[in-house]
Amino acid sequence: MSFLAPPSRRELLKRGGVIAVVSPRKGAPAGAAPEDGLDIHVCLTAEGRVLAFCGHVDLGTGIRTALAQIVAEELDFPFAAVEMVLGDTAQTPDQGATIASETIQVTSIPMRIAAVQIRRQLVALAAAALDCPEEEIAVADGVVSRRGEAASPLGLGPLLGNRRIMLPLAESAAFKPVEQHGLVGKPVARVDIPAKLTGRFTYVHDVRVPGMLHGRVVRPPYAGIDAGEFVGHSLAAVDRTSIAGIPGIRAVVVEGDFVGVVAEREEHAAAAAEALVVRWKEWPGLATDLGDAGNALRKHPATARKLVDEGDVEAALESLEKRLDRTYVWPYQMHGSIGPSCAVADVRADGVTVWTGSQNPFPLQADLALLTGMPAESIEVIRHEAAGCYGRNCADDVAADAVLLSRAVGAPVRVQLTREQEHLWEPKGAAQLVDIAGGLGPGGALAAYDFHTRYPSNAAPTLALLLTGRIPNRPATLKMGDRTAIPSYRYENMRITAYDMPPIIRASWLRGVSAMPNVFAHESYIDELAHEAGVDPVEFRLRHITDERAAELVKATAARAGWAPHVGPRMQADGEGILHGRGFAQARYVHGNWPGVGAAWAAWVADVAVNRATGEVTVSRVVVGQDTGMMVNPAGVQHQIHGNVLQSTSRVLREEVTFSETAAVAAREWGAYPVLTFPELPAIDVMLMERQHEPPLGAGESASVPSAAAIVNAVYDATGVRFRELPLTPERVLAGLNGRPALAPPSAPRRSSRLAFWSRLGGMAAAVATFVAVSLPLTPEIGPIARPDPATWSAATIEKGRQLAALGACAVCHTGKDGVPYAGGLALETPFGTIMTTNITPDPETGIGGWSYPAFERAMRAGIHRDGRHLYPAFPYPSFAKASEADLQALYAFLMSQPAVSRANEPSRLVFPFNLRPLMAGWNLLFNRGRELEPEAVRSAEWNRGRYLVDGLGHCGACHSPRNALGAEKGGRAYLAGGEAEGWEAPALTSASRTPIPWSEAELYAYLRSGHAARHGTASGPMAPVIEALKGLPDADIRAMAVYLASLNTALPEREAAAKADVILEVTASAAHLAASPAARLYEGACAVCHETGRIVPLANQGPALGLSSKLHAATPANLVNMLVQGGGHGAGQMPAFGQALDDRQIADLAAYLRGRFAPGQPEWRDVEKAIERARISQR
Amino acid sequence: MRSAGRIFELRVNGADCRVEVEPETPLLFVLRNDLSLNGPKFGCGLGECGACTVLVDGVAARACAYPVRLARGREIVTLEGLGTLEAPHPIQQAFIDAQAAQCGYCINGMVMTAKAFLDAKPRPSESEVREALRYNLCRCGTHVEIVQAVMLAAERGWRRDGAATE
Repeated sequence: MSFLAPPSRRELLKRGGVIAVVSPRKGAPAGAAPEDGLDIHVCLTAEGRVLAFCGHVDLGTGIRTALAQIVAEELDFPFAAVEMVLGDTAQTPDQGATIASETIQVTSIPMRIAAVQIRRQLVALAAAALDCPEEEIAVADGVVSRRGEAASPLGLGPLLGNRRIMLPLAESAAFKPVEQHGLVGKPVARVDIPAKLTGRFTYVHDVRVPGMLHGRVVRPPYAGIDAGEFVGHSLAAVDRTSIAGIPGIRAVVVEGDFVGVVAEREEHAAAAAEALVVRWKEWPGLATDLGDAGNALRKHPATARKLVDEGDVEAALESLEKRLDRTYVWPYQMHGSIGPSCAVADVRADGVTVWTGSQNPFPLQADLALLTGMPAESIEVIRHEAAGCYGRNCADDVAADAVLLSRAVGAPVRVQLTREQEHLWEPKGAAQLVDIAGGLGPGGALAAYDFHTRYPSNAAPTLALLLTGRIPNRPATLKMGDRTAIPSYRYENMRITAYDMPPIIRASWLRGVSAMPNVFAHESYIDELAHEAGVDPVEFRLRHITDERAAELVKATAARAGWAPHVGPRMQADGEGILHGRGFAQARYVHGNWPGVGAAWAAWVADVAVNRATGEVTVSRVVVGQDTGMMVNPAGVQHQIHGNVLQSTSRVLREEVTFSETAAVAAREWGAYPVLTFPELPAIDVMLMERQHEPPLGAGESASVPSAAAIVNAVYDATGVRFRELPLTPERVLAGLNGRPALAPPSAPRRSSRLAFWSRLGGMAAAVATFVAVSLPLTPEIGPIARPDPATWSAATIEKGRQLAALGACAVCHTGKDGVPYAGGLALETPFGTIMTTNITPDPETGIGGWSYPAFERAMRAGIHRDGRHLYPAFPYPSFAKASEADLQALYAFLMSQPAVSRANEPSRLVFPFNLRPLMAGWNLLFNRGRELEPEAVRSAEWNRGRYLVDGLGHCGACHSPRNALGAEKGGRAYLAGGEAEGWEAPALTSASRTPIPWSEAELYAYLRSGHAARHGTASGPMAPVIEALKGLPDADIRAMAVYLASLNTALPEREAAAKADVILEVTASAAHLAASPAARLYEGACAVCHETGRIVPLANQGPALGLSSKLHAATPANLVNMLVQGGGHGAGQMPAFGQALDDRQIADLAAYLRGRFAPGQPEWRDVEKAIERARISQR
Repeated sequence: MRSAGRIFELRVNGADCRVEVEPETPLLFVLRNDLSLNGPKFGCGLGECGACTVLVDGVAARACAYPVRLARGREIVTLEGLGTLEAPHPIQQAFIDAQAAQCGYCINGMVMTAKAFLDAKPRPSESEVREALRYNLCRCGTHVEIVQAVMLAAERGWRRDGAATE
């Protein structure tokens, strides 16, 4: 593969020294200059470069390599001399979308003809030059010579000279006989792989152009729906001020329901798209309940299209010896590209350049012309490879998004969709419903087959066209349900009917389009008939198969697998309760408009293992045979077969799009849409039929097509139970084995009965009345002073003060969202209203610069402002009162030596009666002892130091002690026994802790020092900045706090604790928990990667062991839910936020699952929904 | 709270570099956008798929969920830092020889995870290789060739410094 950019089509058409095979360019005006009016198919230059042009693209299947083999073969040039130019609107011919595995079978033909023409032309030129018959000229490996005179080859330079030879593309040509093939039919290493392995390959995601900005889009709430009156008409308002704090924002672009942001940096575009407040109108919700796909499809309006009607099906059905009526249901599935779609667009006054991963460069060009109103010829679509798509993903959508954003800012913009957007909006592979009535006549004859297939497809119009209202939001009905609708067997009376339907959700073609579900039905049904007829399923197929090549493939594949003829299910159990079975299926993938074109034939023998107790199905081995006709690159064909086997096994066992009432599509990441993983790989044995003399057939999809039937037939052999609905999740299989319907009842929304702390305050009026009676003394002001000179204090005093400020985590509360330390402005939500923290920098006007030490000390100990006003105990002065005089002096010195920041305090907003500050005087009488702590003589100095730090400036109890109805910390047994902070649960620090392994001094020390304790978890929420602040504290103080806090707990001996931890890790590990529910699979796909313990290779993102985590064992779900929704980090790690990736139902189900699995001894949480709601509000 | 941009000094593929970003910026964006490294890929932003994997002090890290503040003072290695097109690292060569890529979008994560794995376990069994790659997703179904590639790299003799022992 050359890394020199190939010359452009225009350059080649204008230069001399070329032979080019050309044809008129689609849509070019008559009489246009060659460079405007001609396409090139293959071009040879005098320098020996061979450029071949194909309008299709490489979707990661290696087609670039195979096409170059074809050209090199017919031209008799070396493989390395051929450079392929694929799918670029300015360079290549328009050959439509890259679909249906037809690139080799159909699209390569003009190139192949062109290569033959150029070779013939070379021979003619050489014969003329040497004045000899053409028969005497040889072309081999790019060298032209007279036979027998290999020593004196003719150079291409002299042969071509400066001539410009344009040959019109012939309609046909005599291709080289297969016997003479030197390249085609031989395995060739793919040209793209070395660059892909070394980071040198330029995917569309890697395109960078000068001045490029970064864009993100915000999609409407009707996720994955592209038809209906609300589409394009649901936007209510966009609050542009909501992203004012994000730097580098260049534009917010709004048009219809299209919303996007452009920023200078990608992380700012991403943050802006997440933070932008967009209000949408109510939309009616999904009209159809897709939880039951079969029923939804049966009720959906459809147009019947009779494809085949042979014999008299109605009469035959009435006279069957054995009638079988069966229904098969295929779920909606995803393409699931590993990379969310991405594009770069540059919209200028004179035209548009788009870099895209589209599989449809020419249709996309037309869409962009419609979107922009610019002429198509001014729009260049340059195609780069992207993540594999196996059909239509969001590649076209994001290209149009990029065009809208680039046009708005007048600069190139790169748009990267999020994982969530790709999952939600990719046009899904359609669900399908097949009903078959039919059965056996006398002697096991295939007497009747009445086949009805329902397929809700559409064209999945490019989203921006719909969202901006450029095209109507009415659904289109395509006729695509008919792929391989005809069975491979000779039924005496046969009727095939396709029901064409408008979409229910946005759908488009996915590998094996409609053929895969149709064959699931055909090949399951024939298996049942074989059983009814008492004949081996392979033998039965061979008796009735209509196609000789198919029959040969069936025989060869069965032989390769060592198929043992049998009748009925064998239900072979091993010693461990696992049932083993083997199944067969075969089909030819037929694609294109009815009646379609046949691609390769494929046959499967699948071996499965079924766990009778759990319902888990494993595909252990697949023998797959394929008849591809002539294979260009057998290594490439084998690679495609492997891919098809694994992907289709994944689809059959695991994959199903889930839906919700509020957002249509519910699955937004890989936990909710799990795909096959490495440990589940079946062994694969590929058998390629030797058919090099036959025309080449599409190989990209065929091996997927028999998968489902082969697997369910094998499950039948193993269990005696037939499954006619996919995927084969453990719960569906278990239900089937137990003879129950497979659908689990939806989990009912949980309602909380426990009242939150602040809702219990209703009965407080009486207490407050008492309060008012006793407490109206006015406190005098302490006069202001000039700001003290920091030079008053020694460096040692200020340093001590800095440590104490760290201990007290002053900055955590006294720093607002803008991050200016100590300048105040953080809103603290309390049961009594919102308290705004104040400016404690030494600014005389707005801060505490005018405060004398006595005023500062009074505030710290008594909660009284310099001016005499009472402070609220959100400022934990009852703790600070316990600090020593010397420490308060040092703290004062530190604060006074900080930079003064002028920023006025914002008023707090408290509810009545708490807005009456004088009431706090009575509160103080009741709850504030206001004295320094006396050391306990019987305890060590370290313990006393620890207590002083914890209870004094450390004010741990402010969060970790429960408060009484008046907001004062409780003492006695409730001391440090767990409280709340900013919507987070502050767990108990005493033996009241619910963690499975009691806190020890070592764990406490590790936690306070690093923010992480192996047997408890990680500091998060409001504790994370406290840990950060504690970094300023000397080790001895951290140790003292650990010693003191440990004395409040009863630690286990280390060996016992270690053993207990080991047991917990073992019983909570995935190995002990089959993923037999959506929530369990959510854990496996979303959580396990970081949280599963005992992994074979370490991960830098490793998170805490959930079985030991305080969050999972807490009294309330608040901390777990907050982490899930908001993510969070501290010094040592970072949990990504899943608030955008999971909906409320998923989070609730996941929380319940995690609680049950990782804290099995704890009661079920009851107020999860409320916690989710709070977490979402506080995130905003 | 949005923290202001700060200067971060990073060591990437053996070279020192400085970037000015906010501390919570995913390392992936810094590597791709500030340092123009294309090996690590954006796949999910949630740490689920592994396409963004890099090595941090020799340990596999999901760069999409790894804030740049954590990368300070650590040795970062990306796919580009293993070897080049002209002189691929033995594990890259093994993947090339096994033709272990279709679209290749996930392959960065496979190579980087396998590198960290083989450094820790130079002679794995095939089932250990599969286990090591359990949380790396591939959609094309290249799993067979990927496992072959890792086994091939191990069979050729694995040394932590990356040199083949043959």
